Amino acid sequence: MLLLTGKGGVGKTSMALATALGAARHGHRTLVLSTDAAHSLGDALGRPVGAAPVAVAPGLVAQEVGVLAELDRAWSEIQEWLRALLREETDELVAEELLVFPGMEELVSLRAVREVEATGAYDVCVVDCAPTGATLRMLRFPDALRVFMENFFDLERRGARLLRPLVDRLSAGRLIPREEFFEAFERLYREVEDVRQILMDGERTSARLVVNPARVVVEEARRSFAYLSLYGVATDAVVVNRELPDGARGGWFGRWAERERREQAEIAASFPIPILHAPLHPREVRGVEALDTLSRQVYGETDPARIFTRQRPVRLRKHAGATVLEVDLPGASKEEIELRVVGGELAIRVRDAERLVALPATLAGRQLAGSRFEDGVLRIRFRP
Amino acid sequence: MRLVLYTGKGGVGKTTTAAATAVCAAARGVPTLVVSADAAHSLGDVLAHPLAGEAERREPQPVADRLHALEVDARRAMERHWGRVRDYLISLFRYQGIEAVVAEELALLPGAEELATLLAVQELAESGRYELVVVDCAPTDSTLRLVTLPDVADGALRWLLRLQQALSAVVTPLARSLVPVPLPGPEVFRDADRLLYRRLRGLRALLSARETSVRLVVTPERMVIDEARRAHTDLSLFGVACDAVVMNRLLPEAACAEPFFRDWGVLQEERLREVEEAFAPLPVLRAPLQEDEVVGTERLARHGHELFGRREPGAVLGRAPRLRFTRAGTGYQLTLSLPGASAAELDVTKVEGELLLSTGRTRRAIVLPRRVAALDLAGAKLERGRLLVRFAGGAP
Repeated sequence: MLLLTGKGGVGKTSMALATALGAARHGHRTLVLSTDAAHSLGDALGRPVGAAPVAVAPGLVAQEVGVLAELDRAWSEIQEWLRALLREETDELVAEELLVFPGMEELVSLRAVREVEATGAYDVCVVDCAPTGATLRMLRFPDALRVFMENFFDLERRGARLLRPLVDRLSAGRLIPREEFFEAFERLYREVEDVRQILMDGERTSARLVVNPARVVVEEARRSFAYLSLYGVATDAVVVNRELPDGARGGWFGRWAERERREQAEIAASFPIPILHAPLHPREVRGVEALDTLSRQVYGETDPARIFTRQRPVRLRKHAGATVLEVDLPGASKEEIELRVVGGELAIRVRDAERLVALPATLAGRQLAGSRFEDGVLRIRFRP
Repeated sequence: MRLVLYTGKGGVGKTTTAAATAVCAAARGVPTLVVSADAAHSLGDVLAHPLAGEAERREPQPVADRLHALEVDARRAMERHWGRVRDYLISLFRYQGIEAVVAEELALLPGAEELATLLAVQELAESGRYELVVVDCAPTDSTLRLVTLPDVADGALRWLLRLQQALSAVVTPLARSLVPVPLPGPEVFRDADRLLYRRLRGLRALLSARETSVRLVVTPERMVIDEARRAHTDLSLFGVACDAVVMNRLLPEAACAEPFFRDWGVLQEERLREVEEAFAPLPVLRAPLQEDEVVGTERLARHGHELFGRREPGAVLGRAPRLRFTRAGTGYQLTLSLPGASAAELDVTKVEGELLLSTGRTRRAIVLPRRVAALDLAGAKLERGRLLVRFAGGAP
C-alpha cells in the first residue's frame, strides 16, 4: 500500500497515477484509489472514473471513493437517522451533500482502504491521499473512535434500550436510534481498527511525500514527515515534482531556476531517504500516455511498488535492562515535543499533531522514567 | 469591521493572497489582522515571520505597521472555547463515575478543533481591535464543512433538547437516579444553550453577515476552476457571500514568450475568460506569477499592490445575487434576483448539472446542487425582478 501525500497542489494525483501505471507495467495487479470528493482521478485520466472500480490500463484499476459515493452505501442506518433529524426543521434546501458530519471523510478513506485489503484482488494499492491536514485527521480518527467506544458506547447502547420503550409511547421514538444503529457503529469501529493495523505495518504500507521545489512546500513536507512518523507510518521516498526542465531555465525563469537549485539542496539535507525527481510539463499532464511518460521519468525502469527504504518509526527496544520506546521524529525540534501519560496511554505531541500511543501490556501502568530527544529520535524510558 | 475569508483548492496560493491582502491594506492605513485557520499553517512561512512557537501562538503578533498575524493554535482554541463545556461534562460524568481523564480526550473528536478555530476567529473579529480581519482558510471542502458545522451542531443540540423534553414527561427525578446512564437534567440544556448553542448561532450569523465575504482563489487549471464554481453555489446556499475571485499564478507575457511555456499562455487566456463568465458579476482579480517566491512583507506588499491596483483590499468588491432553493411540490424552485432583466431577452436552459442563463448581453452558468441537478427543468418565469425556475421529477 502506497500513500501519496503532500501539500495541496503539488501534483499528488499525477504522481499517484504515474506510480500505479508503473506498478501495473511491472506485472502487479494494481488499484489506484482516490478519496477526494472532486473527481481528480477521472480528470487526470481524461475519462470518467466512479465509485465502482474500472479498468483504465492493462493491470490497472481506478476507483474514486468520494464521500458522496459512500453516503449512498451500506451503513445507511446511521446516516439516514442523522439526516432525518436535521432535515426536519426546514423546508429550504440546505446543501445536503455538505452535511458531511465531522469525521465522515476520514471514515470513508479508512473504510475504502480496508475493503481493498479484504478483497485480496490487488497486489498493490496506490492511494491518492487528501492534503496533509486531512491525512493527519484520518490517522487520528482511530484514536478518537477508540476513546469513544471504550468509554461511552456501551452506556449509550444500554441507555437507548432502556429509553426506547418509554419514548416510543410519546411517538418520539425516532429520537432514539435503533439497535441496528449501534450494530452498524460497532462494525464500523472494528473496521477502523483493522485499518490502523494495516497502515502501521511497515512491511505493507509506506507513505511517499510529494513536494515541489518551493520553500513553503518544503517546510510543510518536513513537518509532515515528522507527523507521519509519529503515527507509525513509514515514509519510503520523497518525490520532487515540477522541476524546471533544462530547456526552460533561462530568460524570465533565470532567478526561478537558481532558487530551485537552492531548494533541491535543502530537500536533500532534510530528508534522509531516497529522493526521486519529476519534471514540469508544458501543459497539464492528462491521459494515460502523458502519465506513462511521467512514470518513466520518475521511476525509470525501477518497480515503483518496491519499498525504497525500510523504516519502523515507532519501536520498542531493550537498553541496559530497561525498556525504551523509540519514535523517529525527523526535523522536529526539542521545544516542539511534549509528553504526557494519560490513563494507560502515552500522549505524544509534536507541534500541532498529538497522538495517543497505547502502551503494550508489558509497559502499561508503568511510569515514565525520562525521555531524550537526539538526532531526530525521541527515546522514552519507563520505570521497571 | 470587515471579515474576508480566503479559500480555494489546495495549493492555489490562498495563504499568499491572504497575506498580500493584509499587508497591502495595512500599508494603506487600515489596522489589519491576518489569521490562519488552516490546520496545516503556512502563514508564518509566507510572512517569513515566526508564528509557530508556544509564545507566538498566544496572541496576534505585530508583523509590520498596523499589521498583526496569528496562526490559530487549535489546542489552545479548544481549551478556551470548549474548556467550559468539557469541564461541565467532566463534572457530569464524574457524578456517574467515569474517569475525568476521559473527558479530556473528547478534544480528539473530529470537527471539534475546526469549530474551536472558527470560534477563535470570531472572537478576534469581534474584539474591535482591527478594522479588517483576513482569514487564510483551509482548502475549500474543509471550509465548506466548517460553514455547515454550526448547523450540524445546532441540530445535535436540538435533538438533545427534544429528547429531554420527551423524557421529562415520563421519567421522574427519582427514577432518573435509578437509571445507570447519564440522563441529562434540564440544567444541562440551559447550560448547553449558554455555553454552546448561542455561540454557534452567533457564528452562523457572522458568516452570513453583510460585512463578511469569501474570496475564492483559483489558478488556470481545470480541476481548480470546477471546484471553485461548485463552492460558489454551495456557499450561496448557506447564505455566505462571495465578493471576488482571484486568479493566481498567471504567467506574465515575458514568461509566455519562452518557447517551453507558449501553449500555457494560450490556455491561460481561455481559462481567464471562462472564469470571468462563470463568476459574473463578481470581479476577477489577476495575480501574476512572480520571478521570485512571494515571501516576506516587502514582496507581499508589491504583490498586493499589483493585485488590487486602486481598489481597497478590504472593501466589498462585488455582490452576486444569492441562490435560494425551496421545496416546491415534489421538486424545487430556484429564486434568483435579476433586476433589470426582461422576459423577452431571457433564455434559460439546463444542461446536465448546470443551469445556463442568458439575458441578451450576458451569459451565466450556475452549477446546481446535486439534488436539483438530477431533476428536469420544468419552467421559468420573471416576476418583479426575480427569476423563478422550477425543477421537477423528484421523489416525494
